[in-house]
Amino acid sequence: MSDILSFWGTYLPQILDGLGISLKVTGASLAIGIPAGLALALMVQAKSRFLRWFCLAVVEIGRGAPALILLQFAYFGLPNVGVSLTSFAAAVAALSWSTAAYTSEIIRAGLQAVPRGQIEASDALGLSFADQLRFVLVPQGLRVAAPALLGFAVLMLQASSLAFTIALPELLSQAYIIGTTTFRYMPILCLAGLLYACICIPATLLVGWFERRLARHA
Amino acid sequence: MIAEIQAGPRVPEAAPNILEVRNLRKSFGVHEVLKNINFAMRKGEVVAVIGPSGSGKSTLLRCLNQLEPASGGEITIDGLTIRADHQLRRAELMGLRRKAGMVFQSFNLFPHLSVLRNISLPQERVLGRSRAEAEKRAHALLERVGLADKASQYPARCSGGQQQRIAIARALALDPQVMLFDEPTSALDPEVGLEVLAVMKELAEGGMTMVVVTHEMHFAETVSDRVLLMADGHILEEGPSAEVMRNPKSERAQRFLKAVMNR
Repeated sequence: MSDILSFWGTYLPQILDGLGISLKVTGASLAIGIPAGLALALMVQAKSRFLRWFCLAVVEIGRGAPALILLQFAYFGLPNVGVSLTSFAAAVAALSWSTAAYTSEIIRAGLQAVPRGQIEASDALGLSFADQLRFVLVPQGLRVAAPALLGFAVLMLQASSLAFTIALPELLSQAYIIGTTTFRYMPILCLAGLLYACICIPATLLVGWFERRLARHA
Repeated sequence: MIAEIQAGPRVPEAAPNILEVRNLRKSFGVHEVLKNINFAMRKGEVVAVIGPSGSGKSTLLRCLNQLEPASGGEITIDGLTIRADHQLRRAELMGLRRKAGMVFQSFNLFPHLSVLRNISLPQERVLGRSRAEAEKRAHALLERVGLADKASQYPARCSGGQQQRIAIARALALDPQVMLFDEPTSALDPEVGLEVLAVMKELAEGGMTMVVVTHEMHFAETVSDRVLLMADGHILEEGPSAEVMRNPKSERAQRFLKAVMNR
């Protein structure tokens, strides 16, 4: 046991570097993907048929294609058309797309859950369409969507491990590299798993707390 | 029941019409809900719209500010005319809604905003008032509806009657020419409804032009100047409150009033 602990101690800095990159990729993907998801959720209800179909295509491809394929596409596919991305940029691009696609559905459901009376009240008050979205619909819709979005963020941290396949030195990659040099895969993968859990379990508890809080105010 | 306020002479005969409805029709699919409605209101007048469920009262009210677009006819509020057969421009629609304040049966306050913000935000966005100005007005109106201490609360922390009074303050803050009330007390306990009716009565006495769709017969009889009694999408009877409610002419109106007055 003390042997494992000292092994963990030796490699902890390298593993934590990996965790840092995992968190950065996840954070960047959420920061780009969730606003994009909101934009898509609003635009699939646009009057322009072209815009509607375009958004629908972006959402359906983003949800239909596995995140792994999007990653491969961004890193290995795009250079064929002259776009070379670093592994970090490719990971963020692919995971942002995935995030945007999934969260647009979550947010759309949230927006639809806002009672009809809220829209009527803002209509009757004479709020412009943009103000109605900004001050009434979006804040309330996002509130409804918040627990599901937080849950999705946890999944995204786990999905960031897929970037292992495009040579991004994130948490799983680092564990794998350490494994190949020390041949002690088991303990290092356990440590990696433990670190994922250290982030995901509190986040999941937060989701639960959030949901209870929301239920109280509804 | 004693009529405390005599209807009629409160509004001068010469007061100009502020609201005119001509040949208003509304259909939902093949179902015609409003059939050729005509009426006019003078500034400061209070009109109660009564009648059995499904008679088109709420639809009429909702057509006045185009929450339901009319299928035919025209509506003039304070000089602004909306015609059903003309494509409504956004600016006209906004203008119309600026002139008409509305209070809903289910209050429809914004639950994510404080009571103060519910009243100040629309002023800032719709009328372009500064935040300080809007909040000053909001505080004054909260005072007027007896809820000065609720400014920083959220709507969920207020009772139904309080929420409805806040909704009235929110609508008043935009300085409407006409106030539209859609069964404002129907979702409230009778006792709580009284506090809302008291605010409405004070508003009427202050000279506000009001259209009130209601099942509160006492309010209709004592506070409103005139009653429109609707049935099956028509205005069945129209006239000074006491006259319509005490001496209805048609058999249908007699039947309705007998049923509700004896409750």
